[in-house]
Amino acid sequence: MFRRVLIANRGEIACRIATTLREMGIAPIAVCSAADRDAMHVRCADERVELGPAEARDSYLNIPALLEAARRTGAEAIHPGYGFLSENAGFASAVESAGLIFIGPSPESIRAMGDKRAARDLAVEAGVPVVPGATGADVAALCAAAKGMGFPVMVKAAMGGGGKGMRAVSEEGALVEALESAQRLAASAFGDPSVYLEKRLEHARHIEVQVLGDGQGEAIHFFERECSLQRRHQKVIEETPSPAIDETRRERLVFAAVALAKRARYRGAGTVEFLVAPDGAFYFLEMNTRLQVEHPVTELATGHDLVRAQVVVAATGKLPIPQPAVRRHGHAIEARVYAEDAAREFLPQAGRALRVRWPRAPFVRVDAGVESGDTVSVHYDPLLAKIIAYAETRERALGRLASALDDARVHGVVTNLPFLRALARSPAVAGAKFDTEWIEREFLADFEAVVRAPAPELALAAAAIAEAAGRGAPTGVGARTGAAAPRAADAFESAGRWRQRGLER
Amino acid sequence: MKSAWRDGDRVREVVLESLGNDRYRVRVDDEVELEVAAEWLEDDRLRLVTGAGAVVAEVTAAGDRRFVRLGALDFVLERQADVARARGGRGAAGTAGGLEAPMPGVITRVMVTAGDAVRKGQPLVALEAMKMEHLIRAPRDGVVASVAATPGTLVSGGATLVELSAGP
Repeated sequence: MFRRVLIANRGEIACRIATTLREMGIAPIAVCSAADRDAMHVRCADERVELGPAEARDSYLNIPALLEAARRTGAEAIHPGYGFLSENAGFASAVESAGLIFIGPSPESIRAMGDKRAARDLAVEAGVPVVPGATGADVAALCAAAKGMGFPVMVKAAMGGGGKGMRAVSEEGALVEALESAQRLAASAFGDPSVYLEKRLEHARHIEVQVLGDGQGEAIHFFERECSLQRRHQKVIEETPSPAIDETRRERLVFAAVALAKRARYRGAGTVEFLVAPDGAFYFLEMNTRLQVEHPVTELATGHDLVRAQVVVAATGKLPIPQPAVRRHGHAIEARVYAEDAAREFLPQAGRALRVRWPRAPFVRVDAGVESGDTVSVHYDPLLAKIIAYAETRERALGRLASALDDARVHGVVTNLPFLRALARSPAVAGAKFDTEWIEREFLADFEAVVRAPAPELALAAAAIAEAAGRGAPTGVGARTGAAAPRAADAFESAGRWRQRGLER
Repeated sequence: MKSAWRDGDRVREVVLESLGNDRYRVRVDDEVELEVAAEWLEDDRLRLVTGAGAVVAEVTAAGDRRFVRLGALDFVLERQADVARARGGRGAAGTAGGLEAPMPGVITRVMVTAGDAVRKGQPLVALEAMKMEHLIRAPRDGVVASVAATPGTLVSGGATLVELSAGP
């Protein structure tokens, strides 16, 4: 087994990986940008190496700096987390060339699955149905293909997974602008301007299967996750089991996913994503060749640590357990806490998190990357934490999630907590009557009305009384808020009045 | 003591009058008046007792913003310099049109120059933040008076990127 592993990531996932590494007796090594020197993920590790300036391309995407950090700290393997370089075949291959182990699939698998056309071809070979689509960098050809399959269509960067930069185009007139925008994002994020476009299925659900392969043709699954609660193709709440499919359909889905993983001789943890139409037909969407953000729901419902499984496969080339050892009990559901202002079109927020309190309750897990005093930077993904609840039944898990969300508190940076609380209490969510567009189609209008309602007079009274008492420490009316670096005085705001008195003395 | 607070789309005025013994009379927007007994608890938590019962509030300042937790509900208020200016300024400036950076980010493209006539909805500037591209569009027909955005530069949220004057 490894003794030292470098985590090429930041935020909650870097903290979560460090926890498992430590449990396994492996020393976690953190990397950070200049903006993240004091970040929580650095505190979670035994050692840290600073990679470069705040911009991701100079730090978390800087392959030479990462390899140098691994060399200098004596790391034997690199865990890429999700996002950043986790699905970059060039990085995986550079890690291997440097004589280190990449905790993830082979560069060939990443390349094949990252190329939507190759992935679709592989799915077809494995007997898995696919949605009509086209890929390339030629705008005219893509426009022609879109007309052929009929609107609406989805446009996204061909390389890289996740929902970032993905958009729906409902008419021909908006297509060129969407294609060009996706090309620019693809070129800047992945160095390849290829765009992927596919027919958009309406009222579909997003259901995915967690798989684990040994790289030699053997693969197992850890059941499915229901990820249909999305806003602009970004998952918001995920759960397992899916309340939308019966046992027969579940068996067909996991069988298809395992067939694909075996055919690809896939190594490590991966996720096969499907769109499930209202009639129950399912189509291969893509395979994510990394750990997913929402992996904790699978961990809670199966009792298996997926990061540990990744490390074992990387170190030994063998699956840690056979398929019959993977059983699922109860229901797990996760909500993603983002620094986003739901009252202002979910704009990402930056600032300094204060008075942070994550819920603590039986059967509630929190994977957080931020605690009080930490800065939420404009440079990175605004995910602050994931709150996951487990219970014997879906109804109780959802109720437990709602209570846990109530208990969470983040001041200093606006978060989507009010949005998550409203979602967790929505009758449609309780009744599992949603699809991937339900939030935008139906939920948001109701939520807007709630979020735009005036604050109760007592909230205003509290603010005014705190100001009159010199508490809640106003740092000067007229001071700029937002992205500006927090001033030193802020450090004492959350610490309480006695601290300030102490200073005055 | 009079203070003004931005609450979402509106500016609200609070008049706070101390009645001694940590009791206050609070008037909001000249409409609602309540008497509140305030007691400071540990960790700067504030217990507020009104005729309707007791609730614990937590107020955290971050610049002009106040994060207020009331029971299990969260609100964000923004301290305004004064009521008249806050109310007047919002309407007159018409900044809801979106010529300001909606969030901190990097300017990726500038599609207009001063003097250009633009139509409502036309993209003016592209801003990339948190892996998403956001297009700043003209809120109305007009002529570009000035452009303050340069590709590659980092701008803060609220920074004015383009100024429009009325069309010809």
